[in-house]
Amino acid sequence: MAKVTDIVLWDKPGEKVLLLGNHAIARGALEANIAVYAAYPGTPSSELTDTMAAVAEKAGVYMEYSTNEKVAFETALSAAWSGLRAMTAMKHVGLNVAADTFMSAVGMGVEGGFVIMVADDPSMWSSQNEQDTRVYGKFANVPVLEPSDPHEAKEMVKYAFDLSEKFKHFVILRTTTRSSHARGDVVLGELPEDIKQARRKFGKFKKDPTRFVDIPAHSRRFHPQILEKIEKIREELNNCPFNWIEGKEDAKVGIIAPGLSYAYVKEALAWLGVDDVKVLKLGTPFPVPYGLLEKFMDGLEKVLIVEELEPVVEEQVKTWAYDKGLRIPIHGKDLVPRVYEMTTRRAVTAIAKFLGIGTPINFAEIDEKYEKVSRIVPPRPPSLCPACPHRNSFFAIRKAAGPKAIFPSDIGCYTLGVLPPLKTVDTTVAMGASIGVAHGLSIATNGSLAEKEHKSGKEKQIIVATIGDSTFYHTGLPALANAIYNRSNVLIVVLDNLVTAMTGDQPNPGTGQTPHGMGRRIPIEDVAKAMGADFVAVVDPYDIKATYETVKKALQVEGVSVVVSRQVCALYKIGQMRRRGEKWPIYHVIEDKCTGCKICINAYGCPAIYWDSETKKAKVDPSMCWGCGGCVQVCPFDAFEPMKEEGE
Amino acid sequence: MREYNIVITGVGGQGILTAANLLGWAALHAGHKVRVGEVHGMSQRFGSVIAYVRFGENVYGAMVPEGKADVILSFEPVEALRYINYLKKGGLVFTNARPIPPVQVSMGLATYPTLDEMKKIVEEDFGGKFMAFDAEKLALEAGNIVTTNVVLIGALSQTPGFPLSEEEIKEVIRISVPPKTIDVNMKAFELGVKAAKEMLRL
Ligand code: SF4
Ligand code: SF4
Repeated sequence: MAKVTDIVLWDKPGEKVLLLGNHAIARGALEANIAVYAAYPGTPSSELTDTMAAVAEKAGVYMEYSTNEKVAFETALSAAWSGLRAMTAMKHVGLNVAADTFMSAVGMGVEGGFVIMVADDPSMWSSQNEQDTRVYGKFANVPVLEPSDPHEAKEMVKYAFDLSEKFKHFVILRTTTRSSHARGDVVLGELPEDIKQARRKFGKFKKDPTRFVDIPAHSRRFHPQILEKIEKIREELNNCPFNWIEGKEDAKVGIIAPGLSYAYVKEALAWLGVDDVKVLKLGTPFPVPYGLLEKFMDGLEKVLIVEELEPVVEEQVKTWAYDKGLRIPIHGKDLVPRVYEMTTRRAVTAIAKFLGIGTPINFAEIDEKYEKVSRIVPPRPPSLCPACPHRNSFFAIRKAAGPKAIFPSDIGCYTLGVLPPLKTVDTTVAMGASIGVAHGLSIATNGSLAEKEHKSGKEKQIIVATIGDSTFYHTGLPALANAIYNRSNVLIVVLDNLVTAMTGDQPNPGTGQTPHGMGRRIPIEDVAKAMGADFVAVVDPYDIKATYETVKKALQVEGVSVVVSRQVCALYKIGQMRRRGEKWPIYHVIEDKCTGCKICINAYGCPAIYWDSETKKAKVDPSMCWGCGGCVQVCPFDAFEPMKEEGE
Repeated sequence: MREYNIVITGVGGQGILTAANLLGWAALHAGHKVRVGEVHGMSQRFGSVIAYVRFGENVYGAMVPEGKADVILSFEPVEALRYINYLKKGGLVFTNARPIPPVQVSMGLATYPTLDEMKKIVEEDFGGKFMAFDAEKLALEAGNIVTTNVVLIGALSQTPGFPLSEEEIKEVIRISVPPKTIDVNMKAFELGVKAAKEMLRL
């Protein structure tokens, strides 16, 4: 089991390796001779971006962590306009951010191949909503390829680049959490010479304002052209190697399985022991190739479409069938749930119902017994790490702002501040929205300082927004400009832990680090000052008292205050220390001093501190303590101290 | 082989993904078609974590279906119970015996079931076998607490019907861990093997 970044660059065609879906896609991009890659990290797409960052230099690829998905999209798009093969990746909600450029530029097309990888998150394992990118594909008339396993994902990337170049059109490669984060056996292909020799490729942009300037006179041409292209692509996909018909040729019943659903359908059929069905495996849920569909439907008496989330394929199939005058039952969302992710159980249940047979095991019985179990299993939601600087920031903010304050927050690890005991997150909506919401709440409850009538001083509703460093650059900036310009009365605390922690420690403008070396660092406080914030300060949240006092002071100021709470991410720091073989102090509770007040647990909540119900004292789990000393500052009875002996 | 399913559970940060990946590579080296499903992102922050390792002809998706796990390998006792709906009838639960009480328990908002209660549920309601042992203690004995996952994998290799050989797994561990730690890891593996042999005889 070699290092993934080595495997992705292995010049060993034919070798079988175990790769994560996202790693396989990175390999596919390299096999396709990609030149430019730009993205903003977002689970479940992040590993693709990180792998590209790790291999960029060695493969002669330009790679950047952009500040948001729209900017990343524009970087890659311009490279594709310049004749290079380019790619961007994002999670489903990231496409909402990039959508403005995506929808407007689709008619301009590309010169070099342009692949947009979008990772959906059905069941919302780490996302704020559930959305189906295939609908975007249909909306924009952009073909969507969807792999059913990691090897296919790798192969699809190459096909996607070819397809994009052939039609000078965008192509979406859509994955889901279960394909991006599944490992499977992958057979390595050839790497092109450019990649092997780390040759950086440069492009040329040929000016053509009638194509690249979307004034109405020009863009009026685009829409009919797009529609024409997508129908040509529909034709082309009849011969797409990722679409095929399998199973019994003269079967009377058929199942259509797009993308990863194919995997679940195959398993379900094996489990049910059913083999007299015909299966249409679809690697291209949009557009559905009608030629292949016609061949598949021939002789069938009923059909089931097993697809995750929206009825994208179902609607195309039904429309086609209606136009053809085909009158057979076509099932889909009546038997397959429209929300949450596909599972083998769901596929089995739907197919069993469709065929009028029983399921191999009694799922209802398992559910019933599990119901009893779930009542006695204590919940274990994720929590802020031990030594996490955000815990201290929240603790200080809560104490300084008081219980009546409103706390809009944002997307990142720190969203976990919503959980007890911290409870310092009242709203999260989308990246960067904390500042926009804080401004809106301030306008609604306090009025603007620019208005004749507004509330201030003791009267004002206290609003403290929290936002991470990466999120601040992502979409916090325009919102901050808006709040300062329109004179609201809010405090914005930027939780600057010097990495994009939630997605895996990627750098951002606040760190200045890029995959190619040092870029230029842009300190958050400088931005806030330059924009004209009424109060700007930087604190170290490991000093809880100083943080509390700074927040108190900022709250006295009328207008927009920005406090940068800066301390490096604990998980990141401990990881680095472990790698270097360094030790850190481990804290413990002096039993005699502990009064059992539980403040460390009920107000602070470091996961390394637990309650010993026998001695009725707090205790520290030494394997979890990361040595920040926060507990020392929180305990009113001085019960915490570092242990004499240092250890890991 | 048609299909073999392992569910690995525990608390974020315990090395569950590493264990799943090791087993996946071992299965790949043994010539199987492999799928490993894992959780990323926020859930890894000390939350409950589940990973799946599956191999065999009938395996396509990366998730083990409910009622189909041959083994649940758990790094923390209550986490085995949380995912007990994956266990097949006659399946085996192998767990590290050291509880990590969730914050909710410390705050007095929830209680933590005893090992006996867990055993009863697994055996009586789900028709499985439940075995708990202190893998952390054995890891410390081997020389480093971070080898707890290797102790557990060693134990897993002894379960009846387990399709991968000890040597196949050990080979992957040898080429995966930092060279300096090979001995510690091998020792941890052996201690796991020994513990399982004793338990399974009972
Ligand atoms: S805050 Fe101090 S005295 Fe109170 S329970 Fe925690 S350790 Fe004991
Ligand atoms: S126990 Fe104390 S020193 Fe250790 S991580 Fe928690 S707050 Fe920091």
